Amino acid sequence: MTAVTVAPIRGVRGGEFAAGARAMVPWLAGVTPFGLVIGVSAAQADIPTLAGWLTGPAIYAGSSQVAAIEMLDAGTAPVVVVITALVINLRLILYSGAIAAHWRGTPRWWRAMAAYLLIDPSFVVGIDRYQRPGDRSDAHTYYLGGAITLWVGWLLAIGAGATLGAQLPAALHLEFVIPLYLVGEIVPKLGDRATRRAALTAAVVAVVAISAPMHVGVVLAIVAGLVAALTVKEGSR
Amino acid sequence: MNAWLVIVAAGLGSYVFRISMVVLADRVTMPRQLERASTFVAPAAFAALAAGGIAANTAGVDVAAWTAPLGAVVVAVIAVRLTGRPYAALLAGMPTLWVLTAVVPA
Repeated sequence: MTAVTVAPIRGVRGGEFAAGARAMVPWLAGVTPFGLVIGVSAAQADIPTLAGWLTGPAIYAGSSQVAAIEMLDAGTAPVVVVITALVINLRLILYSGAIAAHWRGTPRWWRAMAAYLLIDPSFVVGIDRYQRPGDRSDAHTYYLGGAITLWVGWLLAIGAGATLGAQLPAALHLEFVIPLYLVGEIVPKLGDRATRRAALTAAVVAVVAISAPMHVGVVLAIVAGLVAALTVKEGSR
Repeated sequence: MNAWLVIVAAGLGSYVFRISMVVLADRVTMPRQLERASTFVAPAAFAALAAGGIAANTAGVDVAAWTAPLGAVVVAVIAVRLTGRPYAALLAGMPTLWVLTAVVPA
């Protein structure tokens, strides 16, 4: 009989998965009303409700989903709808580039799945964990914990919005949960001059470009932040 | 092209964006400058999403409308600086937002 050994790291991994899921809770509170709104708009649009819901698992990016549903409802040319949805999602290339080094050496199937789950909240939660010291495989588990929690919550919110309708608790101003959560994530990272310049420039450009067409403001802001950071000499505090 | 195909096409394109650099990272050695730039994506993205989120949810250039969210951000920053805990931003910022929204006329 072969002795079966249980890897002692299993308990730790479960803990990492749960920790990633917990880190996603503030994001869920913030994005759930958005998911409900997308579900309601999918139900009201002149497209099959199930097709509207499908934007969740297929596109999996709120702003892009809203644009696609609204434009399909308005009868916009299909090519224009696809191009618009993709322009809004250009930032995903930047996220992919930033997280790629952390996923080097993982199996292809894992990267294929992890990449599918990559979106603003999973990027923020994941990159925060990858930047901490420790076993990288634990960080992978943490990323999946957060990303899968978000994916399930997001699809449930869209489904609930599409089937039940939604009354947003406006008085709670849950739309500010995410910006404040991000403020909390940024402040401890502003230790060096280049990072401060990246963050400040990106924030200013994001506000100035808030009305930019097709939601390209975030992309412009990130690129401006990167350019500003690179003007600072390496190692400068 | 019907709605289903449009959504699937947008989804496939978005997936290509997501996986693009992950795949290329195995085949291409990133230039040093680009690798350095990638370390700033996170803070730049965080700041852009935070500032954009606040601006998008704050009506126009009316100073009064900005009082509550800006007050909440200031309190959140102070809370994080004092505690060193990122979640302090939410614990201090949201109540501040509710109080200021209630007492400051928009």
